[in-house]
Amino acid sequence: MIPMSWYLLFAAALFSIGLYGVMARRNTVAILMSVELLLNAVNINLVTFWRYLTPDRSVGMAWAVFVLAVAAAEAAVGLALIISVYRNRDSVVAEELDVLRN
Amino acid sequence: MSEELLTTLTWLIPVGPLLAFFVITLFTNRSRTLSWMLAWAGVFSSLILGWTVALNVFAEDVHHLEEHPTVIADSIAWLPFGSNADNWLRMGVAVDPLTAVMLIMVTFAITMIFIYSVGYHNWGQPLGKVLGVPNHMQEEPLLSRFFAFMSLFAGAMLLLVVADNLLMLFVGWEIMGFCSYSLIGFWYARDYDIGEDDIPHISPRKAGIKAFMTTRVADVIMLLGIVFFYRVFGTFNFAEALSAHSLEHAVAGVGATALGIMSLLLFTGTVGKSAQWPLHVWLPDAMEGPTPVSATIHAAAMVSAGVYMSIRIFPLLAVGAGPESGVPVGWIIAGIGAFTALMAATIAVAQNDVKGVLAYSTISQLGFMIAAIGTGAYVAAVFHLITHGFFKALLFLASGSVIHGMEHGAHHVHDHHTDPQDMRYMGGLRKKMPITFWTFLIGGMALSGLPFITAGFWSKDEIFASAWYAYNHEGNAIGLMVLVALALAAFLTAFYTMRQISMTFFGKARTPLAEHAQESSNFMTFPLIGLAFFAVIAGWAGIPEDFPILGPLLDNNYAHHIIGATVHSTLHHLSEMGLVGHSYAIAAFDFVWLPLIASLTVALGGLFFGWLMYGRKPLVQGQADPLIKALGPLHTFLNRKWYWDELYDTVLIQPTIFVSETVVYEWIDKGFIDGIIHLVARAFYGFGRYVRAFEMAVFGDGVDWVKDQFLAMAASMRQLQTGRMQEYVLVSTLIASALAFVVLAINYGWFDQIFQ
Amino acid sequence: MEFIQDNLLAFIVFFPALAGLIILMLPNDATNTIRRLTFLLSLVPLIGTLLLWFNYNAEFRYGGGFAFEVQAEWFPALGSSFHMGLDGISLVMFLLTTMLTPLAILASFNIKEKVKMYMFLFLIMEMAMLGLFASLDLLIFFIFWEFGLVPMYFLIRLWGGADRNYASFKFMIYTMAGSLGLLLSIQVMGLATGTYDIIELMDVWVNLPADATLAGTGISVWAFKNIAFWAFVLAFAIKVPIWPFHTWLPDAHTQAPVAGSMMLAGVLLKLGAYGFLRLVIPLFPEHANWAAGTLATLGMLSIVMGGYAAFGQWNFKRLVAYSSINHMGFVVLGLAVTAYTYGRVDTFADPKIAGDAIMATNGAVMQMFNHGISAAAMFFLVGVLYERTHTLELKKYGGIWAIMPVFGAIFLFTSMSSLGLPGLNGFVGEYMVAQGSWDIFTIQLALSMLGLLMTGAYILKALGTTLHGPVKKEWMGLKDMTLREHMVIWPLMVLMLTLGIWPQWVLVFINDTVTKSIFGLG
Repeated sequence: MIPMSWYLLFAAALFSIGLYGVMARRNTVAILMSVELLLNAVNINLVTFWRYLTPDRSVGMAWAVFVLAVAAAEAAVGLALIISVYRNRDSVVAEELDVLRN
Repeated sequence: MSEELLTTLTWLIPVGPLLAFFVITLFTNRSRTLSWMLAWAGVFSSLILGWTVALNVFAEDVHHLEEHPTVIADSIAWLPFGSNADNWLRMGVAVDPLTAVMLIMVTFAITMIFIYSVGYHNWGQPLGKVLGVPNHMQEEPLLSRFFAFMSLFAGAMLLLVVADNLLMLFVGWEIMGFCSYSLIGFWYARDYDIGEDDIPHISPRKAGIKAFMTTRVADVIMLLGIVFFYRVFGTFNFAEALSAHSLEHAVAGVGATALGIMSLLLFTGTVGKSAQWPLHVWLPDAMEGPTPVSATIHAAAMVSAGVYMSIRIFPLLAVGAGPESGVPVGWIIAGIGAFTALMAATIAVAQNDVKGVLAYSTISQLGFMIAAIGTGAYVAAVFHLITHGFFKALLFLASGSVIHGMEHGAHHVHDHHTDPQDMRYMGGLRKKMPITFWTFLIGGMALSGLPFITAGFWSKDEIFASAWYAYNHEGNAIGLMVLVALALAAFLTAFYTMRQISMTFFGKARTPLAEHAQESSNFMTFPLIGLAFFAVIAGWAGIPEDFPILGPLLDNNYAHHIIGATVHSTLHHLSEMGLVGHSYAIAAFDFVWLPLIASLTVALGGLFFGWLMYGRKPLVQGQADPLIKALGPLHTFLNRKWYWDELYDTVLIQPTIFVSETVVYEWIDKGFIDGIIHLVARAFYGFGRYVRAFEMAVFGDGVDWVKDQFLAMAASMRQLQTGRMQEYVLVSTLIASALAFVVLAINYGWFDQIFQ
Repeated sequence: MEFIQDNLLAFIVFFPALAGLIILMLPNDATNTIRRLTFLLSLVPLIGTLLLWFNYNAEFRYGGGFAFEVQAEWFPALGSSFHMGLDGISLVMFLLTTMLTPLAILASFNIKEKVKMYMFLFLIMEMAMLGLFASLDLLIFFIFWEFGLVPMYFLIRLWGGADRNYASFKFMIYTMAGSLGLLLSIQVMGLATGTYDIIELMDVWVNLPADATLAGTGISVWAFKNIAFWAFVLAFAIKVPIWPFHTWLPDAHTQAPVAGSMMLAGVLLKLGAYGFLRLVIPLFPEHANWAAGTLATLGMLSIVMGGYAAFGQWNFKRLVAYSSINHMGFVVLGLAVTAYTYGRVDTFADPKIAGDAIMATNGAVMQMFNHGISAAAMFFLVGVLYERTHTLELKKYGGIWAIMPVFGAIFLFTSMSSLGLPGLNGFVGEYMVAQGSWDIFTIQLALSMLGLLMTGAYILKALGTTLHGPVKKEWMGLKDMTLREHMVIWPLMVLMLTLGIWPQWVLVFINDTVTKSIFGLG
């Protein structure tokens, strides 16, 4: 088998890319995509640990499925919100959405 | 008569007039006629009862009386005090010879005055309209009130006379003072419009206040004497407290000097009530009251009460003046009496008001009595008191009749400005008012001491004789002083009396008022005659036994024995104990020529000089009083009454007003005491303001500052809220990383390696 | 009989409050009903007191002690019970209060505004006064003491004269300030001895050893007693009032409505003197002995300064107000003798001092009763004149006797009672005080005579300026006294005369209590 750490590193790399995307992308849709990346990185982490440490129990797998479902739901809701915001504010640039300022 | 009956009658003596007072005040005050009739009923009952009781006393054997002077005595427990009911203060009546002679004089004089008053106030004439001022020639509208007060006054006087104890005497004393105030100020709405040459008059209401307050000065001091009396003797009863035994006990207890002080305290009451110097100033102004009031108050009753009280406590005064006492009580009493007698006589010489002369004459005669007491001449003082009551009342009533006559004349000629009381405007009234003239003459002669015929002579002679006896036999210098001073005063008395009679009755009328005067009604003349009778005969009871010719004829100095019996045995015992001077132990003394010659000389001399100046060639209209030129500035001094009123006003009255209105009320109460309170109040307010400032600073501003800090902190924290989601993510990531690093560091022991 | 002995006292004390509640329920505009009903209801305590009077049986008259005692649980944790009872002195004060209240209410019939509140306040005040005279427990005493202030404050404030704000405030705060020390002392006393009962305290408190420390606190008994004594004295001295703590009185009296002055002068002042007699002297006998001279001097100053100040007044009501200070001075002088002799009356070398003590104390209490009557009458007559003339300035009056002769005669009579004319009630008390204090406080008595002299001066001033003199045009049409006014004044005048001529009927009660209870003689 390949050492577990390769998968974890891979997940970490994905997570970092996702984190960078969340923090630095201008477009809200791109932020959402980055959030997906984050979630998927977490998923990989989960599955790796499951496969390498407790393959006989189904906890990790179930958890990963959970995360996938939540990610999907959250993507749907998030896109709906972005569309609503776009319709009200005419912009999807995160920097410009600061109504809750102060 | 049985003793029980007499006792009951004695209790009833004051009841008639007192009852009359209540009934008149409450029920009959609307009917003037009913009121005076009731008043008459009251005093007539007193007259009958009083004389009955008195004559029963006189019927007793004199020697028996000397041993047991108190013939009637009865008392009831009055004031609860302590647990033993026997010790309660008692009130009661007692009659001894002194009481008896007083009853004879007082009841008779007051009855005469009541009869007179009905005529004086013009009952039967058209009713006067104005209240509170004299309505000349018209019936007095306030007649009921007059008789109510007079009845109360009579009741109080009789209460005083029959009282067996000092406290009840004081009650009667004070009530008389109140009546005097009310009656002097009877015409309370009257004001005077005094011209330059007129006789000065103060308003009746001021005169009433003056009388009340002057006597009150004396009364409050007397009250101290009264409480002292009870404290020492344990009883107010005269017979018990002033017995020889009791006095001896008291001297052993508190000492004769203390008794001397007590005597002086009580004597002060007499000084006030009997208008002696220095408290004499109220009596002349009391003339503002209606003349019957003057007669009652200033002859028969109130001023007599003052002397009567001193006579009642005579054994005490005797011990106080005695050899064991350190206080010169005898000198003080006799000195005041003699000085007053002389001073008042000099003033009377220069007075123009017919009542004014009589007022000062009263003061002077009272001085005679008091000087007699000071010498130890008990009988002389009493004797003179009685005779004086009769002839002075007579003189006052007669002067009232004169004034009435003058007012009648004034009414006739429609002159309401000339003072009808001013003797300078009289003259020739002998023809116009004969009864008044003759009775006035009798009274005047009694006052002057016209030898042998008049009562005044005998009583005055007795005083001279006693004074001379005290000096001659006992070496008591008081006697000499008294004799000389009183002789001079007697001379002046005769002089001014003759002056008064001449100016009023002799010669021709000096003004139309006197021209048209007429004799007064029967109501007024009848009492004059009644009193004149006594003014003559009352003295005959006191003719000494060894007086040339007349003495052996009567052979019984009745008055001396019976009056002397009251204190005879007490003074005798006290004298034996050495507590009183020998001149005080009353035994009738032998007749001596010197005092008789003295009294004859002064009386006849005074009358002669008076006649010489005023009677031989009576004054005519416009002619000035010859005395003015003769005496010069001294006359003004005498006419203005030695300026005592002005002195008292400056030294006493005005300062008192100043002290009351300004010093006590403004300065002390409002300024000082309230000043302190207001200061305290301001201090509290100030303290409160300080506390408020403190609270405002600490709890107000302080709390506000804390709030501001929080707000500033929040304001700075607010910078974090940019509203940009990505920045939130960045921040939270950084913090989470830091935290994770810290946790991991701790977990893996990295810190321990660094901080070794 | 048993019922009366057991319950009547409490009933009398609280009935006025009940009556007040009844009055409160009436409609505001039924003023006639309110007045008349209040008057009738106020007669009930009077009838009750008369019942007490005639049932004050021989056992108490000759044995001393308290009659009609009531004792109920109230505050057992503190040691305070609802303890009430009467002896000769408080019975006499009861009579005074229950007698003056109906008369004062009758005199108030001319109040037009807020009648219901007025009558209610009056009844509450009566309850407070009665409760105080009957109370035998310190806390109860204090409660009633403070309670009496509030109605009076409102009476002055709402129905008083022009300067009423200042006067009512001064009265209330001044009296309360004095009561502060009283309350603190009472509290410490109760804490230290475990009881507030006056009768017990007279034993326990007095016998506390001087060098001990007070239980529950760290203070020495001796030090505390000194402070407490003066605190007590101050509280009561302000109420009497004793010079120099008297300046609230002229303002309060002058501004109060007529009936308010009647009660203030008639009864409220006596609360202070009663406090001296019931509390100060029995609870602090040694201090009282020691301070008696000061008390006598202050009494003398009250007499003299009160007299001079009264003479200097040109406001009728303020003149009568100062006369109260003048008269109460005699009460103080008599109480000074009581203070001097209390507890040691049989230890003096001079056996007559016992007599002095009894005489002076009798006189003080008698003067309290007599002054209550004459002061109430005087204030009422001032009110009668004020109602018609609407001024209190003496300079504006004059010649009224001609216009209102009946009023004149009545005023003359009442003035003579106030002046202390023998034959009327004013003299009896003053004489007895003078008699009792002559030997012990000679100088103070002698100086007091100056005050007595001024008494004559100011009374004559009042009489002269109002009744005498030429008639003034503006008073020509004044009406003489009405039937209602006669109904108020005649009972008082009858009392003045009967008490002057025959004071025994009241004095026997006072004398018994004074001789047996206070001095333990006989």
